[in-house]
Amino acid sequence: MKREAKATRKDFYMEIKKSPGRFLSILFIVALGVAFFSGIRASEPDMRLSGDSYFDDSELMDIKALSTYGVTENDIEALEKVEGIARAEGACSGDFLYNKKDEQQVLHVMSLQQEMNHVSISEGRLPEKPGECMADNEAGFKIGDKIKLESGTEDALSDTLKTDTLEVVGLGSSPCYLSYGRGSAAVGDGSISAFLVVPEETFDMDVYTEVYLQVENAKGLLAFTDEYDELIETAAENIEDITEERAEARVQELKDEANEKLEEARAELEEGRTEAEAELIEAAAEIADAEQKLSDAKVQIADGRNQIAAAKAVLNTKQSELDAARTEYNEGLRKLSDGRAQYEQGKADFEAGRPGAEAEIKAGEQGIQVFREQLDSGWAGYQQLMQGIAAWEAGKPEIETNPDGTETPEYMEWKKKLQELQGQAQGTKEALDAQEAEYSQSAAALESAKSQLSAAEAQLTQTKASLDAAEAELAGVPAQLDSGQAQINSGWMELKSKEAELNDGEAEILSNEEKLEDARQEYEDGKAEAEAEIADAEKEISEAEEEINDIKKPKWYVYDRSTLIEYSGFGENAERLGAIGRVFPVLFFLVAALISLTSMTRMVEEQRTSIGTMKALGYGKPAIAGKYMGYAFLATVGGSVLGVLIGEKILPYIIVYAYGILYRHLPKILVPYQWGYAVMASGAAVLCTMLATWAACYKELGAQPAVLMRPPAPKKGRRVFLERVGILWRHLSFTWKSTIRNLMRYKKRFFMTIFGIGGCMALMLVGFGLKDSCYEIAELQYAEIQFYDGSVYLEEDITEEQKEKLDEALEAEEQVVRFMDADMQSVTLVNGKKERAAYECVFGSVDEIPEFVDFHDRKSKEQYMLSDEGVIVSEKTAKLLNAEEGDTVEIKDEDRGNKQVRIERICENYMGHYIYFTPSYYEKVYGEKPEYNSIFFSTGESCTSRQMEKMGQNILKHDGALSVSYTHDIEKQLDDMLRSLNLVIVVLIISAGMLAFVVLYNLNTVNIAERKRELATLKVLGFYDGEVAEYVYRENILLTFLGAGVGVVLGKFLHLFIIETVEVDSAMFGRNINLPSFIYSMLLTVVFSLLINGVMYFKLKRIDMVESLKSIE
Amino acid sequence: MDGFVSLRDVKKVYQMGEVEIMAAAGIDFEIKKGEFAVVVGPSGAGKTTVLNILGGMDTATSGRVMVDGHNIARYSQKQLTAYRRDDIGFVFQFYNLIPNLTALENVELALQICKDPMDAKEVMEEVGLGERLDNFPAQLSGGEQQRVSIARALAKNPKLLLCDEPTGALDYNTGKAILKLLQDTCRKKGMTVILITHNSAIAPMADRVIKIKNGRVSSIAENSHPVSVETIEW
Repeated sequence: MKREAKATRKDFYMEIKKSPGRFLSILFIVALGVAFFSGIRASEPDMRLSGDSYFDDSELMDIKALSTYGVTENDIEALEKVEGIARAEGACSGDFLYNKKDEQQVLHVMSLQQEMNHVSISEGRLPEKPGECMADNEAGFKIGDKIKLESGTEDALSDTLKTDTLEVVGLGSSPCYLSYGRGSAAVGDGSISAFLVVPEETFDMDVYTEVYLQVENAKGLLAFTDEYDELIETAAENIEDITEERAEARVQELKDEANEKLEEARAELEEGRTEAEAELIEAAAEIADAEQKLSDAKVQIADGRNQIAAAKAVLNTKQSELDAARTEYNEGLRKLSDGRAQYEQGKADFEAGRPGAEAEIKAGEQGIQVFREQLDSGWAGYQQLMQGIAAWEAGKPEIETNPDGTETPEYMEWKKKLQELQGQAQGTKEALDAQEAEYSQSAAALESAKSQLSAAEAQLTQTKASLDAAEAELAGVPAQLDSGQAQINSGWMELKSKEAELNDGEAEILSNEEKLEDARQEYEDGKAEAEAEIADAEKEISEAEEEINDIKKPKWYVYDRSTLIEYSGFGENAERLGAIGRVFPVLFFLVAALISLTSMTRMVEEQRTSIGTMKALGYGKPAIAGKYMGYAFLATVGGSVLGVLIGEKILPYIIVYAYGILYRHLPKILVPYQWGYAVMASGAAVLCTMLATWAACYKELGAQPAVLMRPPAPKKGRRVFLERVGILWRHLSFTWKSTIRNLMRYKKRFFMTIFGIGGCMALMLVGFGLKDSCYEIAELQYAEIQFYDGSVYLEEDITEEQKEKLDEALEAEEQVVRFMDADMQSVTLVNGKKERAAYECVFGSVDEIPEFVDFHDRKSKEQYMLSDEGVIVSEKTAKLLNAEEGDTVEIKDEDRGNKQVRIERICENYMGHYIYFTPSYYEKVYGEKPEYNSIFFSTGESCTSRQMEKMGQNILKHDGALSVSYTHDIEKQLDDMLRSLNLVIVVLIISAGMLAFVVLYNLNTVNIAERKRELATLKVLGFYDGEVAEYVYRENILLTFLGAGVGVVLGKFLHLFIIETVEVDSAMFGRNINLPSFIYSMLLTVVFSLLINGVMYFKLKRIDMVESLKSIE
Repeated sequence: MDGFVSLRDVKKVYQMGEVEIMAAAGIDFEIKKGEFAVVVGPSGAGKTTVLNILGGMDTATSGRVMVDGHNIARYSQKQLTAYRRDDIGFVFQFYNLIPNLTALENVELALQICKDPMDAKEVMEEVGLGERLDNFPAQLSGGEQQRVSIARALAKNPKLLLCDEPTGALDYNTGKAILKLLQDTCRKKGMTVILITHNSAIAPMADRVIKIKNGRVSSIAENSHPVSVETIEW
């Protein structure tokens, strides 16, 4: 036994060594099949995994909740406590306008989150303070750019942001934006161009705009799977349960806050009121004070006047006194002149009496003459002296006294000299007198006369002196009078100035009185004003009170991740990949299995003699079969391992990488081995080849050894059916006859080849067809079905007036050709147990519908009109609802009960689900008129998308317009989505070609090997290489075309099947394959076929006639 | 002497791994036009090698192979194919008919590439298969199949008819009949026929008998009075 085992084992290994080509061909074809099967199938989970890992790493939120009044800290605390919620974080965001050169863009500004939605920086750094931002790295911003934002609404930018200029300090991506799409906004042209991330402090808001939530245990689950979705849904429901409560709390909060403010306002008002009152009182006091002061001043003035009057009286008395003094003086002067006159009279009398006296004296003197002679010299001297005195007296200065009554110096000198002279005279006289005594005695008589005369003269002198004294006394009086007068005059002067002062004072009082009057007026005004203000404030307060009472409950919205742009798209792409993975690889696998079957059958047939020998030697069936089973097993397992190892790494990587073009920020592609698929594919491969080998062995092993050792009876030539059609057959050339018979003879090869080529053709056709179907839908949907160019969504509370204005604006827009009101509502349709969300669309004007939407059947192209008897439903919707024309379905309405609608027609539609109403049918169904919430518009043919966006911006400026959407945006989005599919299709086409190549190569090799003898005979007969090749090619070409024909049919069905599998619920793909696709796949198939035939040519050339014909083995 | 067919020092060496096998170690012989030549020798003597070289199916390693004045040893593959096509008729031990074609069609297969073909039906009648034209090889006996094979070779009107053990797979009587057919063809049509056999008993029917042993011609015997096949017993 041991020896036997050793020998057989050796034989087994030798077999592999001897025919490495066959072994490897089985190994590789199995590897290919397994690689495709497990690889493409693994792509779906791998894509999800790659996505999920990105989401987990960047801590992407699971749920986003927001309320119409914003989210408060309290809300966040409450949400955090909700069952199933791991954590919650508030966030702020807003949409703003940015004028980039001529173009206006909408930017979405969001706060930098600490816990969730971590952004990745590709350049620069994170923003750290208000005024800095990280910009979307897809939008062409550069570090250092300054972005000046503008508010898109009536509210000022400063209501939301602290600064309107942001400096780009970093570029990066956010897990919220997986792809190129940035979503839509309610400002600008309605579509967001880029996002900016700023520190939370940049927002100047009291509340958060939204809250991000993470669900417990969600991280452990794979995104896009049912488990994850269910977990999130449960958590979302839990959140929804508390939203009502939160809404009430928020209202209360808002009311409290408002009331508080109101209270404050009231207090302020009160304060204002008291303040105003105090101020008024003060003003009044001031006025009174001023009045008092004025009256005081008046009293003072009156006083002054009295004083002036008194002063005047005093002055007058003084004047009269002065006047009296003056009269007195004048009297004195007159008395003086009287005295002087008396003096002059006395003097004259004296002078007159003197000569007689003197003549008597003379007589006496004569007597005494002798005496006289003596005396004369004395007396002469004396006389002389007397004459000197007289001369001196004659030289008396004219002015004796100064005006003030004093004697002038000249006078005094004179007087002094006079007195001196008089003294001299006196001395002389006394000396003389002594002599004179004798003389006197002598001259007694003379003397008495003479004394008499002297007495008179003395008396005159005395009188003159008293007169002079009086005169001197009088001379001082005028000066006194003058100074008195001057004093009086200055008194008057002073009085006058006082009087002027008084007059001034009076004028001032007058002006003050005026001022006071003004102040009084002002006071009155101020009082009135304060009262008015207070009244206003009171009114405002009461209004505010009313408003507070009117505060409605905020609405809460709870979204899962599908609210993120492209998130669902990612999931759908993975799903689509899964759908493709369920179909394509199966085909690959099938072909691979068939190939290994033929190879093994061929091997067993070739080894017929060897099997016979073994049998003859007495080996049992299991031992003999074991070799082939083992051979196949080893090849298959080897192939499977290779296929799994390579396929599950490379294919998912390529595919996910291809999607990476769309989802550029996926940081890493995860392609772990999906052992489930690996085992599934390997198991199936092993099972298939083992079964095939066993089947091949079974047939041979049943035969007798002797039979086995004889060559198998050659396949009998047989007439084919075609030969019985004599007319046709006779017209065929000989070579064609032979070809046709040959084809018929090798039936297995015939069918295998046709299947191989047909399969290849079908796969390529499906590949191209998928592209057609997908690309077509945007074109079909927006060119043939919904040919309006966009819609304007209206605000819920738009007024009639705003709507009219909007209509006018649309009318005025040059680009807008026509527009129509429509009511678009999301509804849920129910048919039995099936439910489907759809857009309920009610048209404003029934007559104009054909200018916006075309209803027709997909196949018959029959046009439908919307009637008042029922609705038109989109095809896919009807299909998903399992409803047909004439059926009645329900529109879900949990509050008022479901509404019944009759489906009148089903129309061709590719994107989305629609149920169309006429207004009157709507009324019939709902019992109320539709409220139009949007306007469909069409633009002119020549309108560029830029013009359209410009138009959209204009429209959005109007009140009541919420947002504008353009079909070309949707088309673009769709194209982006499908571009990724395109890559997958290319991968599939290449793989299909590869597979076709392997299949054809294998079949041809087997064919040539089987017919080596025949071909060698031809060569011996003198067929040139080309002719021999032609002999084989003719069959191949025929098979290629037959296969291609089969491929067309197969491809068509397969395409339909795959389309229906791949299709996501929200869209219907086209069911068509375009002619170019047929041509391409046909050409590619032919090219592959030619390529194989080219390779075969060398194989044919190498056929050795001598060896081939030597003998029959 | 300038024979119709003349081989001069023809050597054929096969490289089998590291061993060189001398299949023909210098063969010299000549055959005249219209002769019925028989090459005899034991298995592995190099008979088939010689025939293959003569038939243009193999090339000599060295030496000269003159056929009708042309040295085919110097022919290219293409020339050799043309030579096979126009000048050679080959009859194999195992007939090598195309199983998928009827007897007539097998003949026609050869004729369609030939410059100066005979009428297929006539040839079939000549070989005695006028009744079985539309039968597939599988429906014919061995002898009949060999007749078809001969007809296919003859119909080309070749210069040289080469037969490699044509009776090897046939029973005695059928074999005899086939040899008769070949001899008659040679005699009637003046066809040069070279027949390989290990059965030296049939040597008397040949004009020339070439014996080969160990890759060399051991003897060449000219038979001035060849006998008819019917008279030979073995």
